[in-house]
Amino acid sequence: MNISRSRWVWLLQAASGAALVLLLSLHWVAQHYLASEGLRSFVDVAAYLKQPLAFTLEIAFLIVVSLHAMLGIRAILLDLNLKPEYQRALDISLWFIGIVTVLYGFQLVWQIIHL
Amino acid sequence: MLAFMIHRLSGIGLVAYLYLHLILLNKLRQGPEAWDSFLQIMRSPSVMASDAVLLFGILIHGLNGLRLTLIGFGTFLPWQRVLFWFSLTIAAALTILGMLAMH
Repeated sequence: MNISRSRWVWLLQAASGAALVLLLSLHWVAQHYLASEGLRSFVDVAAYLKQPLAFTLEIAFLIVVSLHAMLGIRAILLDLNLKPEYQRALDISLWFIGIVTVLYGFQLVWQIIHL
Repeated sequence: MLAFMIHRLSGIGLVAYLYLHLILLNKLRQGPEAWDSFLQIMRSPSVMASDAVLLFGILIHGLNGLRLTLIGFGTFLPWQRVLFWFSLTIAAALTILGMLAMH
């Protein structure tokens, strides 16, 4: 990997981490601190997710947390000094896992608000 | 080295929690009865106690990540060791405050 690419990946990791500070705080406050006894009932979860702003924030959180997680796993595995051909396979695998995670989360939220 | 290990281990733990969280949310798909009875388990004292571990993991990973970002941009280099212990202290204090606020 050339230096400029690794620098871009590092910047993406840092930027997604900074975004997570905001998105995770909003998620935690909305889903746990504002809920009675720390967790929302089914009706409350559905009502919350039906609000367009809440839906957008939760999906943004899902996308950013998945991106940050995949970049973090990548950084840990690259420290194992993988051969270049394995690095490409690793990148493809992590893209796949990340996209599946986002799609799973999205359809879960979609089903909840349409139940 | 301690900061590096804590960041990596908390990161791995949080990735594992992300998938556990998504699996548990699957209960919502089963309807109101399934979710609301599941909440009774999640509100038990033992599960709520595990929230402290989660909260501390999130806080130390976030604060240490912020420290690493600042250092990566070449700022606060002479202060990196102090900032690590500061992050650890703030994470512990916020965990205690967070748990008190939640119960």
